[in-house]
Amino acid sequence: MNQITKNRTKSRVSWVVAIVLALLWTVIAILPFVFMVLNSFKEKFEMLTKGVFALPDALYLDNYKAVLSGNFVSFFLNSVIVLVISLVVLLFIAACASYPLARFKFKLANPVLSLIVACMSIPIHITLIPVFKMSKAWGLYDSIWALIGPYVAMAIPVSVFILTSFMREIPREIEESAFIDGCSRYQIFFKMILPLSKPGLSTLAIYNGVNIWNEFSFAYTLTQSAENRTLPLAVWEFQGQYSMNTPMIMATLTLTVLPMIILFIFAQDKLVKGMTAGAVKG
Amino acid sequence: MMKKMKKLAVIILAVIMVGTLMACGGSGDSSGNTPGETSGNDNSADVPATENVGSDENKEIVLWHVGTEEMDLAIWGKAIDAFNATTDSGYTISSVSIQNDTYKEKLVIAMSSGECPDVYTSWSGGPMNEYIDSGYAQPITELFNNSELPDRLLDAAIEQSKYKDDVYAVPMMSISISGIYYNTEIFEEYNLEVPKTISELEAVCDTLVEKQITPFALANAPKWTGSMYFMNLAARYGGLEPFQEAVAGTGTFEDECFIKAGETIQKWVDKGYFPEGVNSLNEDDGQARQLLYQETAAMTLAGSWYSGLMKQDSEEFAAKMDWFPFPAEDGSLVDSSILIGTVGDCFISFNCTDEKLEAAFEFATKFSEEEVVDFMVELGKIPPVKGVENKLTDETTKVIMEAVNNASSIQLWYDQYLPPSVASVHLETCQEIFGLTKTPQEAAKEFQAAMEEYNAEKEE
Amino acid sequence: MGEKHQRETNIAAFIFLLPVAILMIVYIFYPIIDTFVTSFYKWNGISADKISIGFKNWIKLAADENFWAAFINNIKIMILSICIQIPIGLALATLIDFGGKKTTIFKVLWFIPLLMSSVAIGFLFNYALATNGGIISTISNLFGGGNIDLLGNPGTALYTVIGVIAWQFTPFYIVYSLAAYTNISVDVFEAARIDGATKGQYFWKIALPLLTPSLKSAAILSMVGSLKYFDLIYVMTGGGPGRATELMGTYMYKLSFSQFNMGYGSAVSGGMFILISAISLITMKVLNGKKEAE
Repeated sequence: MNQITKNRTKSRVSWVVAIVLALLWTVIAILPFVFMVLNSFKEKFEMLTKGVFALPDALYLDNYKAVLSGNFVSFFLNSVIVLVISLVVLLFIAACASYPLARFKFKLANPVLSLIVACMSIPIHITLIPVFKMSKAWGLYDSIWALIGPYVAMAIPVSVFILTSFMREIPREIEESAFIDGCSRYQIFFKMILPLSKPGLSTLAIYNGVNIWNEFSFAYTLTQSAENRTLPLAVWEFQGQYSMNTPMIMATLTLTVLPMIILFIFAQDKLVKGMTAGAVKG
Repeated sequence: MMKKMKKLAVIILAVIMVGTLMACGGSGDSSGNTPGETSGNDNSADVPATENVGSDENKEIVLWHVGTEEMDLAIWGKAIDAFNATTDSGYTISSVSIQNDTYKEKLVIAMSSGECPDVYTSWSGGPMNEYIDSGYAQPITELFNNSELPDRLLDAAIEQSKYKDDVYAVPMMSISISGIYYNTEIFEEYNLEVPKTISELEAVCDTLVEKQITPFALANAPKWTGSMYFMNLAARYGGLEPFQEAVAGTGTFEDECFIKAGETIQKWVDKGYFPEGVNSLNEDDGQARQLLYQETAAMTLAGSWYSGLMKQDSEEFAAKMDWFPFPAEDGSLVDSSILIGTVGDCFISFNCTDEKLEAAFEFATKFSEEEVVDFMVELGKIPPVKGVENKLTDETTKVIMEAVNNASSIQLWYDQYLPPSVASVHLETCQEIFGLTKTPQEAAKEFQAAMEEYNAEKEE
Repeated sequence: MGEKHQRETNIAAFIFLLPVAILMIVYIFYPIIDTFVTSFYKWNGISADKISIGFKNWIKLAADENFWAAFINNIKIMILSICIQIPIGLALATLIDFGGKKTTIFKVLWFIPLLMSSVAIGFLFNYALATNGGIISTISNLFGGGNIDLLGNPGTALYTVIGVIAWQFTPFYIVYSLAAYTNISVDVFEAARIDGATKGQYFWKIALPLLTPSLKSAAILSMVGSLKYFDLIYVMTGGGPGRATELMGTYMYKLSFSQFNMGYGSAVSGGMFILISAISLITMKVLNGKKEAE
């Protein structure tokens, strides 16, 4: 009896400690974001005099008005298109590639995986110039289509790496019984492995989605005219040779983050579903 | 399954969006212009060739520049419009404005893939020379001498556009020299007078420190801001010869004047003349200006673009600020009219030849024409043209211009003048001087070593 | 039978791997080879002048103090990041997993740091950590200490940025761990509960061992990311003060794009690639060694 009471107390205490830590972390995590939003409502001089941490005098909406009446909407659409297409392509072909590496036994399996891991080590800046030349050669330069290839390619190593390790955890029995039932590898892939990899795919969607949404280097190298720029480049409009209109930039950045937050709320929902569905029971 | 369906839906959605975007792509741009943008700008990658009907060649001159802010865009726009409207050459200018930070990289990428724009700007000095040596800037000496420019432009500006005796660029935009801006109200409050010598300056600083005001607002994370102090001190201690000789390889950066400059800076750091954590403050984020506006700092040594900057931030506050040139060393025979800065700030170079070059050059001459000059002055710039002082209305700007006219010579900022590999060593060691993590002697040694290495490699 | 099966397997593997292979060859292999080739030249990046100088750049690299100092910085980031981000990520994920539906709100809030761009983060933290008026200094002043200079002080600058990087990336490990938790069958959890195990015992004796493979992968991810790192350092300190926070990535970038020394910059890139690949492959071998033997 005493042991159970002791356990219950221990459990309660640990819960309290856990909640306190969780709240602490929450504050740390969202405070900068809160300040970003607050500062977007300030007027430039106000921010410079009163500092970043003061509350805005009034909700100065002009920053948002200026941002939205600029090219923001077209940047936004470009980013969305690039993101959606890149993600769809990436997730599909990464899954395709991870399946054999996680499951099949063939001679080159390990070397190929090692090669892919090695490719994770590439700093992306060294691919800038060759990719730039290629984009020009193929007539893709200064269009958003030029971005999709590099984005997908640069994300492949990490994605395959993560997905392979997830797929390895899927129990063999499922596959084996399907084989016995006469399913081909392709059927197994589409009908079983893909669905079972949902948590992994969701993780990848989130991770790569954010990277692509915020990606800057390729975007500025491969595009030129304003109509082809993506969101991260929007910040330019408010940076001159010697000065920065910081609150405007904060407004731009807030507007850039919001879609991601909304998307995440929906995507993580899928993650939860994957967790509680007991999918592995298949 | 579900995931596949979702993906399909997403793809269809994407296709619809693309279709919509393309459909309104044509009309969409004009509604999306930020105020101040004029026709010659970003969206005009497909500006049609004009007058010359019979020509099948692409009569488009591609121009790259760093004017992304309203003011600058307006200036570029005005000149571009003037050119496009009046030229007989059959060429039109289409321009791309690129943000300052990433401009140099983008230019490098373009050049290295054979896509260098026809006309582009630089800040002269080391990088421009590199472009010239690599074949991306054409000499324009003849065109230049045959035009009105030698009469219109300031001699100093023309000098800065030269490399090995040929003219390679057309200077424009604004004269930017460094000097000390100070808060007149604070000076009045504590009965401070504008210092004429360095020791007077130090006395002023000491008083300010006593009153718990930081003398100099300095944000030295980007390193070039602190370099201003170094350059001015070195110039006051030894004139310009030590520097020029060091670069040429006949002198050295371990010369006395440089060491003394470093020592003075460290003395000043110890005395509290600079804000705490000076090396962590970010200039672009406005952390130096913040100190000025909050009136916790009284002065700042900055380039004269600060006038326009402060005016933009707050006209009211800008009215409180006045300017004086960096004071002379007591009892020194060194010419104290020497200024550190740039006579132009924007130098237009040309990567085209023959007809195109002539047309592009014609465009560049627009910036020294009356109308455009007046426009620029209105917006707070000081175009490097003769007689510009007569057009100036702002008091502070007039004082600055006076100093410019009195200057016996103007030395370009070290980090622009020097080849980039040496410039970066200078900036890094200078920052460490401020951080008290290197002695001036050590810094000078590294600086000199970098210069020697560069000169040695150049020989190869 | 066995052979036919093997051949079928090989063909299937080939087909599945094809799209990835094509993209990687075009966008990754070609640039890498290009980089190595360039490293054998003296080239400023823009002129048509390219002088072949053999291994000179590489010899210079091997002796380059700045490069190795940067490498050490990368290693510091690597070790600290793994030690901070993964445990905290796991702990917070565990909280959400055990807490069920009511803790979902945390998941969203905790993820926000990862959604913000490095530009925003750099700016906000520059102000937050400012020596005069920043959060840390204010707290220190409350306790009677003076202002604390974190970013301008070469001794603390790197660790400060590591803290910010941890702030940005821990959310990823939260989500990653959560996804890893889904691989643990609900049955296992039920069985443990029925057997009377407390949450604590479940975690240490059952969940953790099951999560270990995923955690190993996480460690490798973190390792590679740290060794490649560029963004926040470039935005917040630019490699300074002096060279205190210089990383291999920032060093390479400056050489190639600002200093007109692309030949040498390519050698640095090549060096980075070799070092990072070697380290991660060796680590993978070591970590997965036992598994291979199965």
